[in-house]
Parts: sequence; C-alpha cells; structure tokens
Amino acid sequence: MLLLLAGGSWLAPASAQPAELVARLSTERVAITTAFIGESILVFGSTEQPLGPGGDEVIVMARGPQGPFVVRRKVNVLGLWLNGPSARFGDVPVFYAVAGTRPAWQLLPEQVRRERGIGIDSIPLEFTGARAPGFRRALVELKRSSRLWQEDPSPIEIAGSRLFNFRLFLPSTVQPGSYRVEVMLVRARRIVATEQLGFIVERTGSAAEIEKVAHGQPVLYALLCILAAGFAGWAGSVVFRRG
Amino acid sequence: MAASLAWFVSLQVYLPIAEMSVDAFLLVGVGFAVGWLSGLFGVGGGFLLTPVLILLGIPSTVAVASGANQTLGASVSGLMAQARRGNVDWQMGGVLVAGGLVGSVAGVQLFAMLRRLGQVDAAVAIFYVVVLGSVGMLMVMESVRAIFRRRRHGDAHRLHNHSWAHGLPFKIRFRKSRLYISVIPPLGVGFVIGVLSAVMGVGGGFMLVPAMIYILGMPTAVVIGTSLFQVVCVTASVTFLQAIQVGGVDIVLTLLLLLGGVAGAQFGASMGTRLRGEETRALLGALVLAVAASLLWDLLRVPASLFSVGPAL
Repeated sequence: MLLLLAGGSWLAPASAQPAELVARLSTERVAITTAFIGESILVFGSTEQPLGPGGDEVIVMARGPQGPFVVRRKVNVLGLWLNGPSARFGDVPVFYAVAGTRPAWQLLPEQVRRERGIGIDSIPLEFTGARAPGFRRALVELKRSSRLWQEDPSPIEIAGSRLFNFRLFLPSTVQPGSYRVEVMLVRARRIVATEQLGFIVERTGSAAEIEKVAHGQPVLYALLCILAAGFAGWAGSVVFRRG
Repeated sequence: MAASLAWFVSLQVYLPIAEMSVDAFLLVGVGFAVGWLSGLFGVGGGFLLTPVLILLGIPSTVAVASGANQTLGASVSGLMAQARRGNVDWQMGGVLVAGGLVGSVAGVQLFAMLRRLGQVDAAVAIFYVVVLGSVGMLMVMESVRAIFRRRRHGDAHRLHNHSWAHGLPFKIRFRKSRLYISVIPPLGVGFVIGVLSAVMGVGGGFMLVPAMIYILGMPTAVVIGTSLFQVVCVTASVTFLQAIQVGGVDIVLTLLLLLGGVAGAQFGASMGTRLRGEETRALLGALVLAVAASLLWDLLRVPASLFSVGPAL
C-alpha cells in the first residue's frame, strides 16, 4: 500500500500536468420555492498533495451579490427608543462565507487575505453617514447573527488526506442572484492554486411568480391581492358558517 | 403551547414579499386566535393582528400592508350579511369612504416617508400606543360606568344626541340614518380612520363605531353595516396603495391568516352572543389596553441590540 502510494507520487510528474486542486459543488442552482427553508451546498474536491497538518491546506470562500445596506443606531428620545444616526454601506456582499481546513488567519499573511478579501475583517466596508466605528462592528455582528456572513462555521473536513468537503449553509433569508465560490489551495502561506466555481440562487414556482408580478406589475398585483382576500374571506365564511 | 404544537406539525412556508420562511401552522393559528377574538367582540381584529405579526418577526412594512389586506378579507362577508339585511346606510357610507380614501392616500404617503427616514417601526408602535391606549381607556371607563348605571337605574340610553356637529354648513339629509347634518364631520371621521388604517394596518372599526354613535349620532342599527362598508373600501385602498408604493403586501401571508381568521371569527361570533354588551366592551377595552401596554414596553425598555440593519432604499 505504502509502496503503491510512493509509486504513484513518483509517477505523477510524468503524467500530463495533473491538477493540484479539483473542486466541485453539489449543485449549481438553488431554488427558492414557497417551501424554501434554506439550503446546504456541498463544496468538495481533491488535491494532489496530502492535506492537513504539515501538508497543504484548503480555503473555501463564497460570496453573494453586492448590495447597499443601512445600519441604524437607536437613541433614547424622551424615554422612547427611536432610530437615530445611520450609516450607509454602499457595496457589501449580501452573503459571505469563508472556511478553511484551518482558520484563514493562521494560513495566510494579512496582506494576502486583504487583497483577496479572505475573512470578514478583509471585506471592504466603506460607509457614508454617521461617523462612528460602532457601525462597522454592528453590521458585522448583525450579518453574522443572521448567518448571512459566516467565518469558519465549521472546519473543512478532510477524508483520506486528499479529499476535502465543506457544507456551505444558505439561510432562508438569502437573496436571489449569482454566487461565486472560490476554492484555494494554500502551501507555505501562499495560494498555489484556485478553483472558481459558482451557483445561482433563484426564485421558482409560485414564489417566483408572485414576486415577479408584485415587482413587475404592481397595479395588477394590488388588484389581485384585493380580489383574492375578498374572495377568500367570503368563501371561508361560507365554508365555516355555523348554524 | 403554540410553539410546542408547531414543533410537532411544522410546515415552513416561504413568504415571497417578506422574503423569509415562517411556519404556516403558526400563521393559521394566529389568524384563528385573532379571528376568534374579533368574532367574540364583533371587531375586525386588525389592531391585534398587526402587532402580533411584528412580534413574530415579520417586518413592519409587510405586517401593516398585509394586515390591512387581511382585514379586507375578514370584513367582506360581514358587509354582505349586513347589506342583505338592509343595515347599510350607503349614502353616509359613501361620504365616510370619500374621506377614508383621501385619508388612506395621505396615510400611505406618511408611511412611505417614515420608511425612508427609517422610523417605521417606532412610528407604527407609537401610533398603536396612542390610539389603542386612549380608545381602550375610553372603552373601559364607558363600559364600567354603564355597568354601574345599569345596576342603579336599569337600561337607559339616548336615542339621538345633538352636538357641535349639527351646527356646521353643507348639510345633507341622510335618510337611512334619519340625520340632517353637515358632511364635514363624516368626511373628517372617514379621513382620520383612513390615515390610521394606512399607518397601522387596521380596518379601524373599533374607533369608527364609537365615532359614528357619539360624534355623528347615527342609530345603532346601521352603524355596524355602514362601518363595514367603510372598512372594506378603505382597506382595499390601503392594500392597493401599499402594494404599489411600498410593496409590502404579501398575499401568501394574507391568505394563511385569512384561512385561520374566517374560521375563528365564526366560532367567536357564536360564543359572543352569550356575552352582555357592557361586559364585552369592558373586556375588549382591557385587551386593547394590554396590546398598547406591551407595545409601549417595547418602546421604553433598553433594546437588546442598539443597532439594526436593513436594505438601503
């Protein structure tokens, strides 16, 4: 067995440039139906060199579409807690997740992490409005608690030293759009190979139809809501009439 | 109880406008409970429903708009029944609705503005605290007084009361209500209810009925039917305007709530006939005050998180 493995690695350079890193996703399409409660996507793959302590390491990073957000701080006005100053973050990922066979900060120097946007601390968070450092921290905390931003939710699992897999969890509040997944192979504090993957989150079925009509033809949607509620109320009272 | 039940029979459903998944059985159950109470007390129940939805984590914009939409559905069959019995003063209803439509337009503009300012949550809560607090207080005081009066003198009430409302210009004869009054008070009442309906996601029957009796002096026989006419028209208008201007009407949410609501209302109504008027009103007043108090507490206590995040508008 040992001999066989040794023989394999001996032969490796001779074969036509084997990939250092191969990664795939369990699905490339996540459907938001009316029964959507969130979904897990499996990110899996294999490496040429053994993974784990002393060997190579893998980092998985997923990013959703970008969007603007407003963070508001409550202030006490005459005893009531009202929304006070706010900060507008122009362009931040709606969804972000990063995980590694070990936490990324142990694997890569800060400069590389910052350049590639690896780790929540490395997401550029430019904002306008209220000038206080608390807003940036609040955005990170709120995003993390809603699981829309995740950092090392669980380590990437290694099987048989060359196979790895990671379960990427998308909560039910995830937004439709195209998502990018980057799988990086790290050796000696450098990224030596990268796999670019992606998947699409889209509404389908009646959830998609309703959303499409509501945003595309709001007048029609409004009239349908009035008719549907009126009819349901009338029909229900006929069905449930007592005596 | 509801939570443990939901654990056994849980059916998560994705609300396409609220963009979140919620337990369908929980929503039907909430609809049933609110419908039961509204049937018991003979009110629309929107003032209970919208705060409960907000407590469940539905965004205020969706809770208010869908609450109005649900109230529309919950009031339609009542209006039809009243109309069949000839208990609707269409003429007075028309004047109230005219005021109500203008009020709902103004209310939705106010709502949209508050949303841009990021103050919707607090504003909805403050509206509820002020309106429910004062209406609940009046209800409790009035019914307690009536209960005491009944103990001393037996039943006594005035058929008709002349107030300042009778001195205004633009008088019209309302045949059904046997009134000859200015159109200004009903227009004003309709307008105020319209604004409140738009901001609070209610039909406003619990305020409209006393206003029709005490301010307009309408005979009680036509009050319920005529108020339902106003509620149906104004909630339809609020639904329409909220859907096109704010985009908060979630039809899946509305229909789930209605499913429980219409069933609950029938059960509540058959039970409500066994309660006496004043006692019912005292209980309803206490319930209204309890809702106001819980919302006030939410405004006063130090929030669990000082910060909140939302999509930029």
